[in-house]
Amino acid sequence: MTDDLLSYTIDPALQPDEREDIRTFLAKCGLDYEIGVEAFVVFRRKRHLVACAGLEKNIVKCTAIDPEMRGEALGLRLLTELIHLAQDRGHSHLFLYTKPDCVEFFRSCGFYLLAEVPGLVALMENTPIGVKAYCDRLKRLRRPGAVIGAVVMNANPFTRGHRYLVERAAAACDWLHVFVVAEDVSLISYRDRYALVSSGIADIPRVTLHHGSEYMVSRATFSAYFFKEKGIVGDCCTAIDLLIFRDHIAPALGITHRFVGTEPFCPTTFKYNADMRHWLRGDVSPSPAVEVVEIDRTECEDVPISASEVRRLLAADDFARIRRLVPATTLELLETKYRAPRSSAA
Amino acid sequence: MKIVREALAGTLESSDLMVRITPRDGELAIVLQSEVMHQFGARIEAVARECLAKLGITEALVVIEDKGALDCVVAARVQTAVSRAVDEWTADWSALS
Repeated sequence: MTDDLLSYTIDPALQPDEREDIRTFLAKCGLDYEIGVEAFVVFRRKRHLVACAGLEKNIVKCTAIDPEMRGEALGLRLLTELIHLAQDRGHSHLFLYTKPDCVEFFRSCGFYLLAEVPGLVALMENTPIGVKAYCDRLKRLRRPGAVIGAVVMNANPFTRGHRYLVERAAAACDWLHVFVVAEDVSLISYRDRYALVSSGIADIPRVTLHHGSEYMVSRATFSAYFFKEKGIVGDCCTAIDLLIFRDHIAPALGITHRFVGTEPFCPTTFKYNADMRHWLRGDVSPSPAVEVVEIDRTECEDVPISASEVRRLLAADDFARIRRLVPATTLELLETKYRAPRSSAA
Repeated sequence: MKIVREALAGTLESSDLMVRITPRDGELAIVLQSEVMHQFGARIEAVARECLAKLGITEALVVIEDKGALDCVVAARVQTAVSRAVDEWTADWSALS
């Protein structure tokens, strides 16, 4: 019997009582409350919370059903409400992280598997043609050759270091595909980052520049999803993103090698590059292995060039030093559009 | 009629279906997933196509998640999705059944 159920939507920021109820309920189901969730669908029987599901933009989170209510098709009602709520909020393409043993359930709710780290986490999307349509578009841009390379860059902003990486990678390949991370959360807007990369590498032969997508280093593929075992968080995040690259994107374009710059100072990036070798090349996927090639960063006065260093110099308004790290197009854009306001006239 | 925005209709519950319709240029594409695909997949798609034809929809992407709905339910959900996806409803409801 499910007809004595009451369902409604809440805003956790405005309804603290509901929020705390959800927090308690999720804890009972072994899940953490995530502070980024902007809206919840809640089901109550009498006064008891029996199911909830949350949305953070287009990512489904905090989905739980009272263990005693399972097997009553409540999940399908919960996800129906959630999908309509998301549509009302302007999100039609949804992503969802879940544990691998829940994949079958979400499949029955119209979600399709994108990538799975066995025993840990799976990422799904709510369309049967999402990543497939994206890869079909990529396939039309395939180029012949034995060595097909890929570089994924945020280019925040584009530096001489990025230019060096693309030059070196292109020289080692029959063709090179360069992707600019599309998620617009960086200091430099996506539009500007893409334009700078486009003009910065235009003269390098045998290179195709691609717009990034939700399937590559995006809020969805890199979501800060977490489990009780917090230690594995970082691994899961990189694993899902890298597996989508290996299982979907690389086969579409025939990519055999992925090129990355070394980051001698940053242990996180060092680990990410190690993860990359594991998930792209290791025996963790039926898809062909993608070789990972690390290229030493080019240096300026013995210091490797990095975009983060350029951002630090930008904040300090040190254009004399920025000039040595970036090409003229980047310098001009930074001077005209991203210059930090000065406190006094100089 | 022209599909001008994405729209959704229906539910995931048993004997129902969820229809998502999206603007698309130059073709009418239907992607159907059904729990009864082997027995009724072709029939469900035919009902959806017939319904879209009556409404004069020639360009759209229609994604259907079917849970074993009867023909009349399929038609009703497709019509509702279309009504939410167009700017002006010009079809005659009585001519649709």
